[in-house]
Amino acid sequence: MFLRMIKGTLFRQWKKMLMIAFTIALGASLATAMLSVMLDVGDKVNQELKTYGANITVVPKEASVLNNLYDVEGEESSGAYLDENELGKIKTIFWAFNIDDYAPFINVKAQLSDGSDITVVGSWFNHHMELPTGEQLDAGITSMRSWWEIEDGNWLDEQSHEDADICMVGTVLAKKLGLKSGDSVTVKGSSSEKNLKVVGVFNAGGDEDEQIFAPLNTAQALADLDGCVDSIEVSALTTPDNELAEKAAKDPKSLTVSQYETWYCTAYVSSICYQIQEVITDSVASPVRQVANSEGAILEKTQLLMVLITILSLIGASLGICNLVTASVMERSSEIGLMKAIGAQNGSVSGLVLTEIFITALVGGVAGFFAGCGFAQIIGHTVFSSAINIRPMIIPIVAVLVVLVTLIGSIPAIRMLLRLSPAEVLHGR
Amino acid sequence: MTKRKMFFRMIVASLMRRRSRMLVALLSIAIGATVLSGLVTIYYDVPRQMGAEFRNYGANMIFTAADKDFTLEDVNQGAAQISKSDIVGIAPYRYENVRINESPVVAAATDMEGAKAASPYWSVDGEWPSAPEQLLVGANVAESYRLKTGSYITVSYTPDLESAEDGEVVQDNFIDFEITGILDTGGSEEDYVYMSLEDMEKLTGEAGNIDVAELSISAQSDQLTAYMNKINSNVSTVNARLVKRVTASETTVLTKLQALVLLVTIVVLALTMICVATTMTAVVAERRKEIGLRKAIGASDGSIIKEFMGESMLLGFIGGVLGSVLGFIFAQEVSVNVFSSSISFKPLLVPITIIVSIAVTGLSSLMPVKSATEIDPALVLKGE
Amino acid sequence: MALLELKNIYKIYGELHALDNVSLKVEKGEWVSIMGPSGSGKSTMMNIIGCMDKPTKGEVLLDGVDISKENAKNLTAIRRDKIGLIFQQFHLVNYLTAVENVMLAQYYHSMPDEKEAMEALERVGLADRAKHLPSQLSGGEQQRVCVARALINYPEIILADEPTGNLDEANEAVVVDLFHKLHNEGTTLIVVTHDPEVAEVAQRTLVLRSGRLAKEVVNENFTGQIHFNE
Repeated sequence: MFLRMIKGTLFRQWKKMLMIAFTIALGASLATAMLSVMLDVGDKVNQELKTYGANITVVPKEASVLNNLYDVEGEESSGAYLDENELGKIKTIFWAFNIDDYAPFINVKAQLSDGSDITVVGSWFNHHMELPTGEQLDAGITSMRSWWEIEDGNWLDEQSHEDADICMVGTVLAKKLGLKSGDSVTVKGSSSEKNLKVVGVFNAGGDEDEQIFAPLNTAQALADLDGCVDSIEVSALTTPDNELAEKAAKDPKSLTVSQYETWYCTAYVSSICYQIQEVITDSVASPVRQVANSEGAILEKTQLLMVLITILSLIGASLGICNLVTASVMERSSEIGLMKAIGAQNGSVSGLVLTEIFITALVGGVAGFFAGCGFAQIIGHTVFSSAINIRPMIIPIVAVLVVLVTLIGSIPAIRMLLRLSPAEVLHGR
Repeated sequence: MTKRKMFFRMIVASLMRRRSRMLVALLSIAIGATVLSGLVTIYYDVPRQMGAEFRNYGANMIFTAADKDFTLEDVNQGAAQISKSDIVGIAPYRYENVRINESPVVAAATDMEGAKAASPYWSVDGEWPSAPEQLLVGANVAESYRLKTGSYITVSYTPDLESAEDGEVVQDNFIDFEITGILDTGGSEEDYVYMSLEDMEKLTGEAGNIDVAELSISAQSDQLTAYMNKINSNVSTVNARLVKRVTASETTVLTKLQALVLLVTIVVLALTMICVATTMTAVVAERRKEIGLRKAIGASDGSIIKEFMGESMLLGFIGGVLGSVLGFIFAQEVSVNVFSSSISFKPLLVPITIIVSIAVTGLSSLMPVKSATEIDPALVLKGE
Repeated sequence: MALLELKNIYKIYGELHALDNVSLKVEKGEWVSIMGPSGSGKSTMMNIIGCMDKPTKGEVLLDGVDISKENAKNLTAIRRDKIGLIFQQFHLVNYLTAVENVMLAQYYHSMPDEKEAMEALERVGLADRAKHLPSQLSGGEQQRVCVARALINYPEIILADEPTGNLDEANEAVVVDLFHKLHNEGTTLIVVTHDPEVAEVAQRTLVLRSGRLAKEVVNENFTGQIHFNE
């Protein structure tokens, strides 16, 4: 009989129940969408912040101290290099998955045909790598110098011009020499002379505008430095630093074993640096504070902002649902009065109403969850052009929220109705 | 009593005497309006607030010499072209080769307060120099010379040999500096030592030119470009350039962030407004009997619609006013918590919030009232 | 000419003939009762007279005008101007005070006038309860407010549907008393009831059975005087 009564309400009052289900679905979809976006926004924004370039630089241990100083004095560099063959190892560290991109650099002093000194920088542009894990990766400055404005020609495409003598020229140098894409420029290094074809002219808004960028092997050949790398820039997705990370950055040995584990297994910029140093021989990896610190600040703010917006929308949705459930239960006063008049106990009346509401809430909640996943994807694709990861933990959160909200919405209304005497209700007073 | 007075008397009676029901509706409208005004305020304030955060990336404009002389005076002249409130920090730099323990080191002279503001990412172990003859040492320099915070070091400078007269023995100038801090940036700054402009003048014995000035300006890229052009055309001694890496990336990221908040605002608003609409629909739908009664005693459809609309629009108005206030408080809270700065009040948002909430409540009650008036009064009255 | 005339009225719902060829004349100032068991067509007839429903076939002449073909909007206007309704369930707007409920009828008719509304409440003996909400009034008091509301616009006809159905005897007497008063003032009264005691006090009682007029009883003893004296 109980089931029959519930079925009766659900089917005969389907319009009203549909409206409640609809509102609950709206609330649930709002909660799902906002929670998904909130939980994923850190990763997404982190990815966006990669446009600022590398947040870790790796240099040889000896060179890290004096290289730049000698540069100032106009002497040749000290002769400490990293090994090009070890580059792939960066993608094997504990946080390999968080290494978004990286590029090696070699600076070679060379002369133009008129005898003036210039710097030829060798690097990866869109270097293709097959990793031992089976993963494939295109790494290089094409993505790590996203702020470069190509004024003429195109980005150098390493994959389609293997071993060709090509280069990109900074805009200041190009103007000075009157170079356009398609022209050639002759550079003479310490060991060989090369005729490089210019494929693009870039505007970097900095010192790089006076340099020539060529594929790594081409630049190495100029100075007979095969397999040598000056520095590596690494772009990694990191977790904003906290106290532990700061302590560890100063000296990892000062940590206790469990602190060390936590630190090592969290994607702090310092622990990633530490792990890179472990795989690259005689290297010093240090965070680029300009990028690493700012990233942390912006990530934190964005996440906090989303958390607060999510809280607001959850409160809004909850109150909205509460409201409607209360209104709809109150509306059934005469029916409840009648049930009490024909002898129903308070308990069975409440049980009936609650069961109905919960069946409705279940339908609405499930529908809302899927709708919310859809909303999250719309946001993800529109803003970040990538899918938002729907985390399983959202399901219980939304479920608990819907149940709580429905309960809170219906219980005061039911209590109020139960207090009324059947006679009063039936006489419509 | 005029008809209009009775109209308002009825509406007020309905709102005041059906207090609990009306509170339910009002609450829902107020929530909707709060979400509206709160999120829209945040949406408009995000670029400004986030822009301030992006100043963490440091200078986004640099001044270099346009002709031979480039002094502090020129830097200030250039900076005067920029609205004062937009300037976060100005750091002029003068680089000279000095010697520490007879090895060459690059010394940069700057305004410490300016450098601190323009490069907030500089991490100093110890203190920033604040008094004369204090030195900030880059981490690499500190390591190679085994320098420690608190220790003293002699920095010497060899005056320009060519300006010396023949036969004169050029004496090195030197100053004993106290090292107050070690600078860690992860960049080339770690190879320099930093001192105040005054100390540099004393050390070199000449005022000298500024090499470069870094400016951190709180403005979007359009505004920055405008500033740059203004300076380049108005101040002949300064060559202003944008730091592309910082400005271009900031534009990219900020655009995304604003798009995110916009989209979230739209989704939340749409859902909240539908929520308000369903609540209003429910609130009106339960008064079908009353609508039937009014029809039975001779009310025309038009006058019933007018009364109910008047009632819900008044509710919408009150809800809108409440929501404007609550929304501003919410936005303010968010701003203080997230960005630790207060939000700018947008007066235009108040009428917009009120109008939208009136429109939403009005429209959402129009439907059920209309459908209720179409029903035969006899049926409604017989209903029980 | 009769104030109200029904000519061969049919109301057909599918197979069911709710009203089956009913004809009726009510003169101005007359007091008529309509009786009949449930499902006899009482309510249908009442709705048609009250301009809340239209017959499937036949003519309804009110003041010589055929209202059976009018659209809903005009019916509302006619109802507002010529008919005062009283319901079994009272049907008061529960958030308006007694006097405001009366004024509501004025509001839709022409101009609300609190003084006139107070006078109407005085006539039904509720002047001291004017500022009370329906929930603070007894059933009899509520029904008297309805009577006041029905007569405030000086309608041609007062149409009462089971006016005493929800009242105890004492209150029933008060309401019937009021009907006498109205009748003496010249108001036309049509009272639908299945309470013989209420029906009998009218000048004429029509009995409906299965949608047809089965019987018409003229009250020979009708004096226009108050019967229920305590």
